[in-house]
Amino acid sequence: MIIFDHVSKMYDPNIMGLEDVNVHIERGEFAFLVGHSGSGKSTFIRLLLKEFEPTEGTITVAGRNLQRMRRGTVPYHRRNIGCVFQDFKLLPNKTVADNVAYALRVTGQPERAIRRKVPEILQLVGLGEKMYNIPDELSAGEQQRVSVARAFVNHPSLLVADEPTGNLDPDTSVGIMQLLYRINRTGTTVVMATHDREMVDKMRKRVIALENGKVIRDEDKGLYR
Amino acid sequence: MQARFFFSEALNSLVKNWVMSVAAIVTVLVSMFILGLGTILFFNFQNAFSDLRNSLRVEVFMKNTASPEKIQELGQEIEAMPEVRDVEFVSKEDALSKLRESLEGHEDLLEAISGNPLPPSYVITLRDPDSIDVVASRFFDNPLVDNTPGTHDGVKYAKETSEKVLSVTTYFFIGGTGFVVLLILASILLISNTIRLSIFARRREVEIMRLVGATNWFIRWPFIMEGVMTGMAGAAAAVALILLANNFLIESVVSKMPFFFKTGTVPLFWIVLIVIMGGTLLGSGGSGLALRRFLKI
Repeated sequence: MIIFDHVSKMYDPNIMGLEDVNVHIERGEFAFLVGHSGSGKSTFIRLLLKEFEPTEGTITVAGRNLQRMRRGTVPYHRRNIGCVFQDFKLLPNKTVADNVAYALRVTGQPERAIRRKVPEILQLVGLGEKMYNIPDELSAGEQQRVSVARAFVNHPSLLVADEPTGNLDPDTSVGIMQLLYRINRTGTTVVMATHDREMVDKMRKRVIALENGKVIRDEDKGLYR
Repeated sequence: MQARFFFSEALNSLVKNWVMSVAAIVTVLVSMFILGLGTILFFNFQNAFSDLRNSLRVEVFMKNTASPEKIQELGQEIEAMPEVRDVEFVSKEDALSKLRESLEGHEDLLEAISGNPLPPSYVITLRDPDSIDVVASRFFDNPLVDNTPGTHDGVKYAKETSEKVLSVTTYFFIGGTGFVVLLILASILLISNTIRLSIFARRREVEIMRLVGATNWFIRWPFIMEGVMTGMAGAAAAVALILLANNFLIESVVSKMPFFFKTGTVPLFWIVLIVIMGGTLLGSGGSGLALRRFLKI
């Protein structure tokens, strides 16, 4: 599903984002990216989304070489990737339902399908009652659920999450993790950057540890350590 | 479907930034109002002036000694000139009777004159008043024409009047065009500023749109519509004001001065159409400018 082949990313001549990273993530896998702030987790994710180009190496996502992808097709590439972020990235002046609907509208789905799918997915994340609230009226955990719902409503083959539980208390985090786990069980590949030690240890999934932009450890059913 | 979504996005943004929207609408309104009103005035004056200009004539006086055959030949020559619309021969007798008419009540003055000293003449009306100099100068050296040696006083044409009329219309046109161009630039800048602000207010939103896979055009459309709606709103208001001003102000002045202006010469329908299209273009131009500069996607 994801192949990083000798990927390096230099922001400045002195600032190394990633250095010679080789990672192969299979379809349907659940992988944690762990490491301190600045270890390269976000760089990894932003490269996946083709927000910028690697300085060296090639990245393949779902069989497509990102370096050979034309600019015009980047939006279509992103539609196949659901994203969840630490700061939720919800549109503040749209209702919960409109926020989720946005991801569908972008793909040109007919209004009828949108009216059907949005309540369905919000029900799934347990927010059926809050469809017409705006994000500010929701708790942090609820907002992150909206963001997960938006990421998954298109049923992407890959879901990436950049510290999705970073702003949440432990109990709420468990709820979000359960959602991601359920999404993974439907066959969606999930890549999650985190430094939530407890969560990683509990889940016993693949752990890719980064430090100063290098992969220092990559093991199945790993621990945070 | 999507058009409706874009439309509602644009409308929401217009309402949310209503202060800037109103400012942009008012600028479009003012510039389009002045453009429309200026065009109406231009047409009125243009018609009045073109009447004036078309009344410019060249009078060519013959020597009394010129033979009738030669005079007739010259008449045919004049008629053959491409610039000439009409030529009228005024014989000695015609000239005298005209003089007599104009001296009505004082005919005794004529008794002092023996015979008929008045020369025959040609009165030339031109197709294009601009060619008055060219046509007049052709008679300066003609031996048939009654020029005092060294001058060409045998050719009478309103050189100065014609130049004044021509230059007034030109300045009128240039000044008006310049003013309208300035206003149009101002409204483009204001609209682009409005759109820029709304892009700025929504830059987070734009970032999110990109992350969920919105194409560039999906992101652009609401902003373009916002600009077009601003432009159209301003243009519609301008049309209303222009029609009001035309009906209650201009028409009443024009109809009170029938000797100068002619009524019903203004193509109102086209002016309304131009104003509406102009406003819309301003709107899309303004948003286009803002998108180019501030929405690097």
